[in-house]
Amino acid sequence: MEEIVSVEEVSRKFPLDNNPTNHPSHSFVSALSEASVRVTAGEFLAISGPSGSGKTTLLNLIGCIDQPTSGRILVDGVDTSKLKPGSMATLRREKIGFVFQTFNLIPVFTAAENVEYPLLIQGVSSRERRLRVAEALDSVGLSARAQQRPDLLSGGERQRVAVARAIVHRPSLVLADEPTANLDTHNATQLIDLMHGLNRSLGLTFIFSTHDARLLEHTERIVRLCDGQVVSDNSTNGGSRG
Amino acid sequence: MAKLSQITQRMEAAVAKFLLLAFRNVFRNRRRTLMTLFMVGGGVAGLLLVGGFFSSMFWGLREHTINSGLGHLQIFTADHFNRDEVRVLDTGIDNWRQVAASVQTGGHVRGVAPRIEFYGMVSNGDKSSVFMGTAVDPAAEASLGFFPARFESGRELDRKPTGEVEALIGVGLAKSMNVKVGDGLTVLAMTSDGALNGVDVQIVGIVDNGVAEMDARYLRITLASAQRLLQSDRITNLVVGLDKTENTDQVAAELTPRLSGLPQQLVLKKWIDLATYYKQVRSLFSTIFVFLGAIVFFMVLMSSVNTLLMTMFERTREIGTMLAMGTPRTWIIALFMFEATLIGVFGAIVGVLSGNLLGVLVNRSGLHLPPPPGFTTPMSFHVLHVPSLMIGSSLLVIVSLALASIFPAVRASRLRIAEALSHV
Repeated sequence: MEEIVSVEEVSRKFPLDNNPTNHPSHSFVSALSEASVRVTAGEFLAISGPSGSGKTTLLNLIGCIDQPTSGRILVDGVDTSKLKPGSMATLRREKIGFVFQTFNLIPVFTAAENVEYPLLIQGVSSRERRLRVAEALDSVGLSARAQQRPDLLSGGERQRVAVARAIVHRPSLVLADEPTANLDTHNATQLIDLMHGLNRSLGLTFIFSTHDARLLEHTERIVRLCDGQVVSDNSTNGGSRG
Repeated sequence: MAKLSQITQRMEAAVAKFLLLAFRNVFRNRRRTLMTLFMVGGGVAGLLLVGGFFSSMFWGLREHTINSGLGHLQIFTADHFNRDEVRVLDTGIDNWRQVAASVQTGGHVRGVAPRIEFYGMVSNGDKSSVFMGTAVDPAAEASLGFFPARFESGRELDRKPTGEVEALIGVGLAKSMNVKVGDGLTVLAMTSDGALNGVDVQIVGIVDNGVAEMDARYLRITLASAQRLLQSDRITNLVVGLDKTENTDQVAAELTPRLSGLPQQLVLKKWIDLATYYKQVRSLFSTIFVFLGAIVFFMVLMSSVNTLLMTMFERTREIGTMLAMGTPRTWIIALFMFEATLIGVFGAIVGVLSGNLLGVLVNRSGLHLPPPPGFTTPMSFHVLHVPSLMIGSSLLVIVSLALASIFPAVRASRLRIAEALSHV
């Protein structure tokens, strides 16, 4: 299978604003330390670990919204460490879909307009946009709510709109950061089923961070992080990959 | 070519959607937008009221200056402006009746009035004073609507003079000479030959021109009396009255070639060339208006920067999301600038509407201001509705808001995405 993401010995350190000891080793905090993960196309992969383990940092690095301190990341064969900001934006726009913990929908846009947004910034024609938005909303079961603004949608519906927005431009990769964290069990289960269904039906690669056991139960492959390091990388059938 | 047109169409659609987003964002925090609109609209309304009042003042002063005797155009000999101010008719117009008749046939010309501007002494036997005299043809002046500003007492010069030499004098001169209507004065001036000549006049009216310095020197007699006093048939100038002040340039352009064919070399001056006081007032008040405009510009600019920065901070996560999805940073700048420009446009609309409404109310209220320095009559507080002012003030606030948005917009576009997404 084709490799879609390759994280190679990536570290991410953040500078500390206040360094009480003034010692150089205390001037930064290490969020990720020499982590390596390889993801093939069509995988449904969970990044798990306790709070502060580096899940979001790893997703941000894969999603090209942050840059590693060392190591390199390849997305769809492109070495992201060599990209300029404009090219990173193009890569995100064309190849990556994002689902956020707090949905992050544009509040003044309707559900349909929110889903349309990634196509808009890609310069897709209006006819094509209409078709693909309808298709994406249909795939998440929200066609009837297309003209509602986010404040009139339930949490579960908002997250489904976010999923539709993440897949509408047919990205190579969908990144979801704690997508079920703000949902009740019913909506969380629906969302998990939805993501799983999209993974199977469209062959979309999903990488998501979670410590939600409900979501992990449905996940074939789980990468566990602790203190910024990959401590295990296994599938639910017990096969370790790393 | 077809591909280029396709790309253009797509861009247009994206821009339209972004404009829609900007439009909706403007009304997201209605209370704040309303406050900004009040501020921007207040600035525009203020400029319209002040500018409208100044325009009304300029218009009033212009028409007053023209109708109180300056006229729209004046004809002099070419040597007039190098003349000896004692023997004023040495450089006067000889064949003025022929010139007047020629000018009278021009389009938009309402009438032509001959004048002699002269200087000399006036005496009551006990006391003498300097005067600045104007000799007029009362009938011609009346036909043009040129009257002294206000009669303190008495009447205008007789249009068909009898043997008596009639005179109007200013209130200041009357006071200093201690005379009233019906009293006599002796007017002394230098003739063309260089001899001192005198004529006894009877005061038929005392006038208040509204300018104290002018009223202290003002003397007006008939043209025939002045020609007898100065021993000459000449006049110093011809005053041309038009149907509308706006036609001045056109008529001047038409008359100039007509005057060039005459034996005596004549020059045509527009009212604006002769209205020194008007120009000084206009220049002073225009400077004040520009200063007020600058204050409004900076007020709108600074307070808008603050408001827009607040908006940016509130929407940090949303901007982070847009950037994460690959929105070009220039689009974020454009979005913020669109929003600010829209607020400017709405603010300008509010300002133009409220400014005009207030102008109507002020005009209906009949308010008067105290006399300005050097004047003796109160000034009506009247506001003109000037389209160029509306456009200018609107553009000023729109540009001001667009400029105010640059800093917040650039800051928004430079947000670190990961930090923006975790912004609370």
